[in-house]
Amino acid sequence: MRALLFLWFAWQVASPQAAEHMQAGIAADKQRQFAVAIKEFRQVTEIDPSLPDGFISLGQAYMENGDYGSAFAPLKHALELNADSLPAHQLLGYALLAQGYAGEAIPHLQLAPDKTALGIAEIQTGQLAEAVANLQAAQSAHPNDPDVLYYLGRASGLLAKQSIDTLLAAYPDSARAHQAMAENYFVLRRMPDAEKEYSEALRLRPGLPEAHLALGEVYAGAFQWPKAEEEFRMQAKLQPGNAEAAYRLGEALLEQGKVHEARAELLRADRLMPDMPETLYSLGKAASLESDPAAAEKAWTKLLSIEKQSALAAQAHFGLAGIYRKQGKTAEAQREMQEFQSLQGANQPQPAGKQEPQH
Amino acid sequence: MLNIPLRISCGLTVMLWAATLAAPVFDVNLPHGLDFTLRNSPTAQKYLIETMPGGVALLDYNNDGLLDIFFVNGGRVTSPMQMPENFDRHNPLYWNRLYRQNKDGSFTDVTQQAGLANAGDGNYGMGVAVGDYDNDGYPDLYVTNYGKNILYHNNGDGTFTDVTAKAGVAAGGWSVSAGFFDYDNDGKLDLFVTRYMDWDTKHNKDCGGNYHTYCPPEEFPATTSILYHNNGDGTFTDVSERSGIAAKKGRALGVAFADYDGDGFTDIFVANDGMQQYLFHNNGNGTFTEVGLEAGTALSEDGRRLSGMGVVFQDYDNDGRPDVIVTELPREIYGVYHNDGNGSFTYRSLETGLGALSSGSSGWGVGLEDFDNDGWKDLFVAQGHVLDNVEKIDPSLHYLEQPLLAMNHNGRFERVDSGSTAPVAGRGAAFGDLNNDGWQDVVMTTLGGHPQVFLNRGGKAHWLVITLRGTRSNRDGFGARVRVNGQTRFATSAGSYLSSSDKRLHFGLGIAEKAKVEIDWPSGIHQMLNDVHADQFLEVREPEKP
Repeated sequence: MRALLFLWFAWQVASPQAAEHMQAGIAADKQRQFAVAIKEFRQVTEIDPSLPDGFISLGQAYMENGDYGSAFAPLKHALELNADSLPAHQLLGYALLAQGYAGEAIPHLQLAPDKTALGIAEIQTGQLAEAVANLQAAQSAHPNDPDVLYYLGRASGLLAKQSIDTLLAAYPDSARAHQAMAENYFVLRRMPDAEKEYSEALRLRPGLPEAHLALGEVYAGAFQWPKAEEEFRMQAKLQPGNAEAAYRLGEALLEQGKVHEARAELLRADRLMPDMPETLYSLGKAASLESDPAAAEKAWTKLLSIEKQSALAAQAHFGLAGIYRKQGKTAEAQREMQEFQSLQGANQPQPAGKQEPQH
Repeated sequence: MLNIPLRISCGLTVMLWAATLAAPVFDVNLPHGLDFTLRNSPTAQKYLIETMPGGVALLDYNNDGLLDIFFVNGGRVTSPMQMPENFDRHNPLYWNRLYRQNKDGSFTDVTQQAGLANAGDGNYGMGVAVGDYDNDGYPDLYVTNYGKNILYHNNGDGTFTDVTAKAGVAAGGWSVSAGFFDYDNDGKLDLFVTRYMDWDTKHNKDCGGNYHTYCPPEEFPATTSILYHNNGDGTFTDVSERSGIAAKKGRALGVAFADYDGDGFTDIFVANDGMQQYLFHNNGNGTFTEVGLEAGTALSEDGRRLSGMGVVFQDYDNDGRPDVIVTELPREIYGVYHNDGNGSFTYRSLETGLGALSSGSSGWGVGLEDFDNDGWKDLFVAQGHVLDNVEKIDPSLHYLEQPLLAMNHNGRFERVDSGSTAPVAGRGAAFGDLNNDGWQDVVMTTLGGHPQVFLNRGGKAHWLVITLRGTRSNRDGFGARVRVNGQTRFATSAGSYLSSSDKRLHFGLGIAEKAKVEIDWPSGIHQMLNDVHADQFLEVREPEKP
């Protein structure tokens, strides 16, 4: 963008003497000799003080030199000369934002085409809904830009926090307030507190959407499988169309060795949301545990048609190798084991000690 | 706890059942005289050895009919460790200890008079194996260490002699669990020694960032375990290379023996930490082939590596074939590998109920023993996390835990009250009938504390305890398959973690007052005894001729 601006500016230069300094400034800037560029652009402003482009270039050179404060004056002067100059607005907006003057930056950035800086400025001024909207627009334009992704996440999080803070302040004893507190504790891995808050939320409002599911996950994280099963079952009863509830219930049952029941729930999850790799893997596992190799093979083969390189794919190959080994299909078993081993290196989770505090 | 019907009115039966079910299985106490403390010496340096000891053995060293107890101690660790390493083992605080059981159930410390004091200043203690390697009728002791291991020959007069140098079994490095078995069926007990990793205090690491924790095993190179062949003249030969054992490096912590494929030769299961588990198939010609992956015992059902620590190789579902149970770290669940009978195993942790019972626990010493004498082997696991500060990192995990006692109901395990009230950092566990009442007891070691002795409260079911007396086979009868009324045990003192259990074979008989006993000796001799009366300690001598 810097080069484009300079090229555009160069055509606007009127005086040959000023044009000469402008070209020298652009050349110095290209070579990142910003001190030289500043000197040349200052010459342009002195030779032709009515030309906004000289002031814009000078402001930009200051910014490139890391001296955002010095860029304010030339850029503001450029806007005095031409109040509609988009480059001047954009650069001044950047400079003000960089110096922490987000509120002053916003009117200038609102005129610029790039919404990223505007979204950032709006985060700083607490205009979170606007920030989210502008950063979503920026993300559409730059889908994989890490800065945009970061600030969009931050804005969304702050907006959520703002909403929750309002909830907690206005209705501290409400079921939703306890649910929000529980979610916070869950993230902090303070499971006893999370359990307490979810339980209170459900006491205040039985059937609170998602609360049973979340409480079940708290219990599952603490290896309290019967309690987890109970909560997932409640969620599944409240929302028979919720595939995740069916899947989680199936998993909790599987952990307890209630294979037949688990399989029924996992089949239900698969019907509600077909082709979910996690469901297919667990479905194959449950079928295998129930001595139904044909069904296990079907589920794992389906999984492998969806995912070929993931950790779940490796596990499916391992499971298939076991089935074929027991069936005496040596060649197939070896093939699956080779597939498993080739994927294992790439996908094997870090040994326990590295992923969590274990030995 | 009893699964036998009580011949009383129905209503009263229900009440009695409820009462018995609520009662703990064991009385947990410290018998008079048993004043051992396992001193592991935790330091800020987080030397890995500190969290790994220590073993316990139940043996009748003086053949008076009462089980005695031998404990392996750790040592003094300085922070940081000075070179050359000195663990202050000449200091009585750090001695291993032998306690002789008295007739009144109390114990007397006989360490010094038995010649077992001072296990070597350069040795930090780990585990113990027991076996009569010279077939003289007295159990010998093999103590493993970080450092050099020690073989103590039982002189038969209440004393032991360190014969390590002559025997050639010092090993070196970091040895952990060990066990005696007869891999070539020559009638002499050989010795298998697991080694954990290529590690020393100079090359220790501190992991866990600000939390400063013990490092996971993957931080250090794997190493080989050792197989010693008993030459029959008081010496052993290291056959690790030629047997194929050294072909597989591992991070071995536990070892157990059984003939899983019924070919008459004892196989070896090695519990490795953070990697594949090894099943060494005995080829019958002095060599072994590692077949864990093919047999289905190497990984979890999901193909994940396990943090194998303790292991037991016995038949949990009374189908006559030895199964494998491996204790692990949290979120891995203890591995139950069911022996399908065709050389392959099926992972059955979930169906047996162990998944839900173990997913949040760290298991070490482990045993399959029929604690309620109902004819099904129950499960006991010493538990406690590796990291002494694990709660700071993950509040759902615990450094101190109560042991797991799970009763076996037709192959499915259900937790019951062991009687333990205080959580501890459990490590070693040995199993046997301490008070000769026909009900199996447990001794468990705890890091930094006294051992816990679990004395079985008993009941009314019948039992049979068999002592094997090998003649053509090794005198201990290790490797024999013994079937009693549809149950099977594989004779061994090895298994668990760092520990050695009573060599006598215990069977719960339920309501049966007589038993049919079948023994397949390692020599190949098949022996059968009919109408054996219940509730007795029976010595069975191997016939001299088939």
